[in-house]
Amino acid sequence: MAAGAARNDLDRFGIIFRASPRQADCMIVAGTLTYKMAPILRRVYDQMSHPRWVVAMGSCACSGGVFRTYSTVQGVDEIVPVDIYVPGCPPRPEALIEGLLELRRKIREERRTWGPYARKEINL
Amino acid sequence: MKDRLSEIVREIKETFREALSEIGEFRGQTYIIVSQKGILKELIKFLKERGFNHLQTLTAVDYLNFGKKPRFEVIYQLYNINERIALRLRVEVSEEDPSIESITDLFPGANFLEREVFDLFGITFKGHPNLKRILLPDNWKGHPLRKDYPLEPEEKPEDFIKLKEWKKRLEEYGIK
Repeated sequence: MAAGAARNDLDRFGIIFRASPRQADCMIVAGTLTYKMAPILRRVYDQMSHPRWVVAMGSCACSGGVFRTYSTVQGVDEIVPVDIYVPGCPPRPEALIEGLLELRRKIREERRTWGPYARKEINL
Repeated sequence: MKDRLSEIVREIKETFREALSEIGEFRGQTYIIVSQKGILKELIKFLKERGFNHLQTLTAVDYLNFGKKPRFEVIYQLYNINERIALRLRVEVSEEDPSIESITDLFPGANFLEREVFDLFGITFKGHPNLKRILLPDNWKGHPLRKDYPLEPEEKPEDFIKLKEWKKRLEEYGIK
C-alpha cells in the first residue's frame, strides 16, 4: 500500500495496479496463504495472460513465516512459480520496489520463456 | 450486583444439586462446573429467565495434557446486561461421547459458535440447524484444536495435492 502511495509512488516506474488479473502481468502475493485459500490463488494466477510473473512479498508468502501449522501453506512457491522473493515482516516499501526492479532486470534477460517457443522441445 | 449473583448461584445450587460438581471463583469471576451435560439446556433456560440475556461466548477446552477426565469442557459465558453480572458455565463432555445439546433456540448467536467448536474440537451439538465446518474446508480431516492433532499433518488436503501436480505438469511442459 505504502509502495503504491504518494511517498514511494510505484507509478513512476511504470508499475500500475490493475483491477483484474486478466489485465495484469505480475501478481504480488502479499500475505499468508492457507490451504483453504490455495485453489483461489491458483485460479487468480491461471486467469492472468502470458507472460506472467509472481512476486512473493513478505516472509509468510515466501516460506510460511512463523506459521508452521496445519492450515498454512509453507510458501506460495508450492503452487505457483515465484520469480522474486521479498523477505521481511512486513517488507519496507523500498524492499518491495527493489524486488520489482529486480524483476524488471530479470525480465530484460529472459529469452523464450513464453509463447510458442516456450516449450522445451523447441527451445533453440 | 455481587449479592444478586450469589443469590442466583444459591438458587442454581438448590435446583440442580446432583448435576453440578463444583462452584467456584477465579479472579472475581464465578464459574460452575456441570458434570451432567443433560441438564445444560434446562440450566441455561433457567438463567435466561433470571435475566442472563446475553451469551458472550461459547468455546471448548481439551484437557488431554492435564490428564483430566472427562477430557473436554464446553464453556458458556453468560452475561446479564441489565444488572451487569457474568457467569461462566463449564460443562464436562467425555471423549467417548463428544456431544451436547444445542442452545441455538435459546441464543441464536450460538449458531456460529457451536459450528466453530464442532469444526475445531469435533464436539457435535444435537439439534443444531446447520452443523457443518465453518472455518476449515468442508473436506478437511480431523479437528485441529484437539491436543492429539499433529502440528503439521503429513497428509495434505486433496485439492492442494492436485494443485501441486498441476504446477509440476506445467513446469515439465516448460511454461510458467
